[in-house]
Amino acid sequence: MSANKAILQKEHTQSGAAPERVAPTSRNPARGSGWSQRPGLSYLISLAAGVLVWELVSRQLPGVVFASPLATLQRLVEDSINLKLPLALAHSLGHMTLGFVLALLVAVPLGFLMGRNEKAFVMLDPVVNAIYAIPTVAFVPFLIIWFGLFFEGRTALVFVMCVFDILVTVAAGARNIDPSLLEVGRSFGVRGWQRMRLVLLPASMPFLFTAMRIGMARAVNAMITAELFLATVYLGKYMQDSAARFDSAGILAVIVILCAVGLGTQGALKRLESRMLPWHLQS
Amino acid sequence: MTMSRTQRLSLQALGIFIALTVWEIAGRILGDALLAPPTAVAVAYVELLRDGAMLRELAGSLRQMAVGFALACLIGIPAGTAMGRVKQIDAIVHPWVSMLMVTSVAAVVPLYILLLGTGFWFRAAVVFTASVGYIVLTTYNGARGIDLRLLDVGRAFSAGALQMFRMVLLPALYPYIVTGVRIGLVHAIRAMVVAEMFIILGYGGLIYQSGLDTSTAPLLGLLMTLMLFSIAANQLLRLAGDRLAPWYNQRLSLR
Repeated sequence: MSANKAILQKEHTQSGAAPERVAPTSRNPARGSGWSQRPGLSYLISLAAGVLVWELVSRQLPGVVFASPLATLQRLVEDSINLKLPLALAHSLGHMTLGFVLALLVAVPLGFLMGRNEKAFVMLDPVVNAIYAIPTVAFVPFLIIWFGLFFEGRTALVFVMCVFDILVTVAAGARNIDPSLLEVGRSFGVRGWQRMRLVLLPASMPFLFTAMRIGMARAVNAMITAELFLATVYLGKYMQDSAARFDSAGILAVIVILCAVGLGTQGALKRLESRMLPWHLQS
Repeated sequence: MTMSRTQRLSLQALGIFIALTVWEIAGRILGDALLAPPTAVAVAYVELLRDGAMLRELAGSLRQMAVGFALACLIGIPAGTAMGRVKQIDAIVHPWVSMLMVTSVAAVVPLYILLLGTGFWFRAAVVFTASVGYIVLTTYNGARGIDLRLLDVGRAFSAGALQMFRMVLLPALYPYIVTGVRIGLVHAIRAMVVAEMFIILGYGGLIYQSGLDTSTAPLLGLLMTLMLFSIAANQLLRLAGDRLAPWYNQRLSLR
């Protein structure tokens, strides 16, 4: 239960939405005016300000330990043109996607079981919380013993890193499905497959999307972790090679790419959600 | 749906018992090299405790983690409050916090090694990077929805900016801060292990090295300690939260 609450709270913080008990922002506006009200413009200003800080910091430090934004951009463009970075990224996405899909296949049904069956929840919750409390990277020695250092091992690490986050979120969501929705279904006499399709599935879509977003963030994280902690390959190898050459521009270029992949997948899932579930109001 | 307390507890015990039994049987079949059964782990655990290296390394690692985590709280809480109350600050800082949240801790490790070496500040910096975002965003969500009447009282007593933060905003944000600190701590522990396994030092280094052992029993013992610590720290923070903000849980149950 504790982890569930934490996860739901975490989701709130990640999606940037206020917890329900918070008064609506319209009634309680923070101070501000002008440019800060225009999302596009303020985003640009923010980016510029951040890059400026980066530039100023990098001037204080030798280039080998912290490259300037321009040097990083140059490296990014160079190695994109000779396809080094895009190819590495394409390979990396392979184990990321497979591990993520496998985690969804396991965690979603199990999460529903835990969320809709009180007995199963009470029995499984302590065990899930106990395993969830262990930092996932600590499983790396195990995964090496079981799955080796290569593709299977990487996929397994992605799987382990996202499966519990998805499980806990789905279980918490399924437990909190609005009972009145289920009652409407019952009074119309839908049961079995129809109940699943007409009542449970639509009621579950919002938290399934939440679970996917949380899981996807973990999967991107796991992707690079696997490439650094198992056999170093693709983007991980690119980073390690850059580090060995004291080439901080190369490391920063990979961090920029990972950041873009992370933000891009989150944005895509959010867009998909608002397209598929227009009735589910997003703040 | 409703279960009595004894029913709940016995079901929980049954769940743990089944998990341990499955583990024991799987461990017996696979052997110590692949998955040591709980009975073997218990024996190895006594050995680990007697040896002393486990607890010593844990204490050393936690000290470094504590520094990074304390810095994350000291910077994260005021930053989150400022973001929640001032639109301009939010507009500037928020995109970068979002980027921080999606960036993997493992990815910044090679950069930090170049910047800071592998000493004390390296581990503290990794822990800081991993946990500060969660503390900022949780505090931010609290500060954004703060009751305006509280601010009016502060203004009526003509409180300055610092007084306003310390005497009005901070107490009103306790529930959020406690939640943020709890989530942040989970990520701090994860980050500590990531950093240490990468440079093979401290507790993470111990995990890495025992992974090379012929038996997985000591490795599982180390994971157990980490698990127990993580759960204990979480419970402790929950208790501290109940003390600091006893109205928090009441409000949750009223909802």
